This record gives sequence, C-alpha cells and structure tokens, in this order.
Amino acid sequence: MNLIECYSALGGNYEDVLRRLTNERLIKKFAVRFLDDKSYGLLEASLNENNVEEAFRAAHTIKGVCANLGFDKLMHSSADVTEALRAGDLDRAKQLFPAVSEDYHLTVDSIKALDD
Amino acid sequence: MGLKGNGGKILIVDDSEMNRAILSEMIGDKYNFIEAENGAEAVAVLQHRNAEISLVLLDIVMPVMNGYDVLEIMNSRRWIDDIPVIMISEESTPSNIERAYDMGAVDFIARPFDKSIVLRRVVNTFMLYEKQKKLAELAISQIYEKKKNSSLMISILSHIVEFRNGESGLHVIHVQNLTEILLKTLVRITDKYRLSAAEITMISHASALHDIGKITIPDEILNKPGRLTDEEFAVMKTHSMAGADMLSQLTFFADEPLLKTAYEICRWHHERFDGRGYPDGISGDDIPISAQIVALADVYDALTSDRVYKKAFTHETAIDMIREGKCGNFNPLLLECLSAAADSIKNIVNSSVQYILHDYIDDIPGEFFSRSELTPAKRIFDLLSHEKTVNKFFMNLSKDFLFEYTVTPSVLILTPAGARMLGTEQIIVNPFSDNSTLRPVFCEELHRQLSEKVRESSPENPEFEFECDTVIDGQPRHIRLICRSTWINDDPPVYIGVIGKMIFDPEPTPRKE
Repeated sequence: MNLIECYSALGGNYEDVLRRLTNERLIKKFAVRFLDDKSYGLLEASLNENNVEEAFRAAHTIKGVCANLGFDKLMHSSADVTEALRAGDLDRAKQLFPAVSEDYHLTVDSIKALDD
Repeated sequence: MGLKGNGGKILIVDDSEMNRAILSEMIGDKYNFIEAENGAEAVAVLQHRNAEISLVLLDIVMPVMNGYDVLEIMNSRRWIDDIPVIMISEESTPSNIERAYDMGAVDFIARPFDKSIVLRRVVNTFMLYEKQKKLAELAISQIYEKKKNSSLMISILSHIVEFRNGESGLHVIHVQNLTEILLKTLVRITDKYRLSAAEITMISHASALHDIGKITIPDEILNKPGRLTDEEFAVMKTHSMAGADMLSQLTFFADEPLLKTAYEICRWHHERFDGRGYPDGISGDDIPISAQIVALADVYDALTSDRVYKKAFTHETAIDMIREGKCGNFNPLLLECLSAAADSIKNIVNSSVQYILHDYIDDIPGEFFSRSELTPAKRIFDLLSHEKTVNKFFMNLSKDFLFEYTVTPSVLILTPAGARMLGTEQIIVNPFSDNSTLRPVFCEELHRQLSEKVRESSPENPEFEFECDTVIDGQPRHIRLICRSTWINDDPPVYIGVIGKMIFDPEPTPRKE
C-alpha cells in the first residue's frame, strides 16, 4: 500500500503530518524508522516489572513520537496510559495497556505493508 | 533563510532517537548537531564542549535527569546567560511553559513539531544571540586593547626613567607587583582602607610612575657611583616633588583617578610614617595609602636588589631590616602585610616575568567580566583557567621529564621531576642565554638540532623527535626528545614555542640510598 493508505490503516492523520513535515519522502523515512523504536518494548517490560517511572517515560515517549508522526490512534491510547502512570496508577495503566498493544501492532503491521 | 553556510552547533536533548532525528531533519544540514539522550548527557556535553554550543533544544521528560534539572544546572553555572535554550516538549500546560521560561528558556516548541515553526524559531534565536555575542566580543576586545595600550604607555614611561638610571627595568616591575600583593593583603587583614579590586589595579599601575621625577636630576648625581654629598642628596630629594609637578601640569586629565593616584605616589613615596620623610614631612595616615605602600615596596626591592654601591640582601634579611626600622619607618599595618605576604612576595620577585604575563589574564576578568553581558568571553577565560589548573596538576603529578618552552618571553617550565633531574628551578627565564644554569645541557648540538626541527615543523606537522648527546649533572648522557611545536592560529600562524618530553637513554640508575 502507499503512504496515504498506510496512514488510513493505522488510524493516522496524513494531511496534518504532510503539512508539518512538508514532504512525503521524509514522512516515509521516519515512519519506517518507527519500526526500530524501542519504547514499546520498554513500556511492556516496565509494566511487567511494576516500574512506574520507567513505564511513564516509555509511554510518554511513544505518545511524543506518535504526535510527531501523526499516528493519532496509537498516540491516544498511549496518552491514556501515560496519564494513568503520571498519576501513579499502575493497575489502571495495566488495564489500558492492551489497547496500546493492539494499536502498536496495527501501526507496525501497516508500516510493514508499505510499498518500497 | 537567515544564516548562510555553517550556522553553528545545536545540542538536541531528547530521550527519543526518533524525535532527535525528526528535529535535525527539520532544521537541516546548515547546522551541526550534537545529540544527548538524557539530561546528564546534555550537562556533560555542555561541560566539555561549552564554547562550541550555540543553541540547546531541550526535552522535559527524560530518564536519569530531566529538562528542568538541566535548566537548573545551566543557571547555577551561568551557561544559560549565553547559550539559548528552546524547550521541546509535550508537557505544554501553561504551568510547565511558565516554569521553563522562569528558568531561562527563551522559547517553547510544543509537539507535534511543525517544520516551518521549528526552523523559524531556531533561526531567530540564533541570530539574536549571535548578534549579542558579537557585540560583547567587540566590547571586550576594545576594553582589552585600551587597557593594554595604557599599561604599555606606563611601562614605556617608567622604563625610560629606569634606563637613564642604568637599571634593568625590573625595579619598576617589582614595585608594581609588590604594590599589588601588599594592597591585596591589606584589604584582607583590615577594612580600614576601602579599596576595590579596580582601585588596587589602578594603584599598582600608577606605582610604576613613582620615580618619573628623576628625569630632572642631573646625570652626574643620578649615576654617581659613590656616596652623595649633602648638597647632591638635597638635589636628589627634589625628584619626588618634580614628578608630582609634571603630573599636575597635565590639566587636561586632572580628574583621572590614575593621574591623581600617580601624583600622590610621586609626591609622597619618600614620606615616613613618623613624619621624618620628605618633601612635606607629613605623617601617619595623612600620607595617602597608595604612597605608603609604594614606599614600602620601593625599600624592599632596593634592599633585595644589587646596586652599584651594595650587594642584594636576602628576602629574610630585608624583611628583618624593615621590621627593625633600619630602613625607614612604616605604618604597623603595612608591616603586618609584609609579614603576612612574605611567601608570595618572595615568589613574585623570583618569577616576575611570569607574573606580569598572568597579570593581564588575571586582571581583566575581575574588573570587567562581572557584567553579565560580557560572559561569552568570560566563559573562554574560565575554560582557559580550568585548562591551566588541569595542566598544572598533571605536570606536577608526572614522574616524566616534561617541559614547556615559550619564545617570548623566553621561559622554560619543567615538571618538578624534570627540575630535580637537572638540579634547577622549575621556571627558568632565558634558558639559552650564556650564563643560564642550563648552558651545559643545551649544548650546541642540542640547540642546533632543536632549532632545525622547529624550523621544519609547521602547524600541520608540529610533532618531531630527535636524539643527541649532552651533559647532565656533570655526566655525559644520550637523550631522546619527543616534541611538538605550538602555534597560534593566525594568518600566517604564529610560532609560540615547544612542548615535549625528554627521555634518558639508558634511564639513569637511581642513586643508592
């Protein structure tokens, strides 16, 4: 699929990201680099280890990167986890995590399906 | 947009590699980037590469050390005064933004990043700070130039007098350094005479003029080898008033503090605390403190120097003679200063050449860099003084024979280990002169090879090595020298001197205890 189809599949806002980053090549370059981002793995591990602070920073980073790339769906679910962790509510963060997980995999799968 | 070519170096601090990449991509390759993934790394970069960084883009939420903590450190070390910080964060609630501004951030860019906004804010901040920096540097260089010129003029004047007197010119330098040390000690031990750092510097400079009245004294009296007759001495004594008169005729500058102080010093540097001096016979604190101090410095240096009519007394003897009242009569507070500062006085007179050199660097930050708009140059001086401390520490620690040689003035500095091996002082002025203690070591062959190698070296290829035979401590030795010539990056480059290491081949066998 092309970039517009990819953004639509992962629940992103292509128009906005195009306005901000100004060109398609750049958007594609960073979208692909998102596959290497370690924050999701760190969030998952930190929640398992009940490390609230580390989990907060990881969720916060996912949220920030998604905001910059216009991955709105994942940005919203990671924002919810971020706020739960900011409040120190680990249980709530764990309850909300499956949504992040689902959106993350959707995002990653969509990017992987991009045409070269 | 805005700056062309090499725009400067930007430190991007964000824990997400992706965000750092997006930012540098947006800002473009007109700038260089250094990346840090948390606050602690950022502080380390700022510490080591401070002068290179023109702008910091700073995230707030980060592991190890967050953005607010970085701002706090930048404040406490005053880096914030000349390195602009733009916050980049999602934490864009009004209270977060306000807190960052309060801590000195110049701008706040919220996520998601928008290329045109990021670029415009970065360029604007850059231009503003660059302009400010250039103005500050201009101001500093003008102040420096002016100060250098006025010191130079004073030195020329005072040396003319000394020259006629058949003396080396060291006397003026000694009096100047002694005056400064005594004044600094005085303000430390009492608050009776309220003197600012600037006034101390000014009095020291003016002290160089204390004997200018001597140009009115006829040669046959001034340079008479034997004792002066009463009539001759009476003529000699007119030099203090004569100097003061010359200065008082400079009506155009009459209000200049330097001139007023020089006048006091010229006129009253032969008064005595008990009132039995000349020309006015005033006593106690009726004699301005500037003149009292210079009088003491003058007597001390006269005692510890060789003169046509006497040999130099040692530092200790001179101090005893002054204290016992054998040479003049001084304010008890000043005698206290003399005792309190005895060690530094001894050192300063021994190494006056070096002292004059560092005087410039020492003096300027104190007086001028207290203004916050002048901090860019202060940062450079801070770094320089830090480098000097580090260098000195490692030199002292090293067991190797390391040396540092500068051409102008011709001074050789050795590690303590090196000085021990040669049995000399650590700082040697004019090491290549015929009467230098190092003459046997710097034999013809060594000197010839060294000069040749230095000539062949260049800023691009400064390093060289050579071997030669010489005599050390009376023993013939084979040595190897590993050297590097040092240069100032002017156009054309200016040769400064040589640093290096001397290796003995074979190593000297340690003496049996």
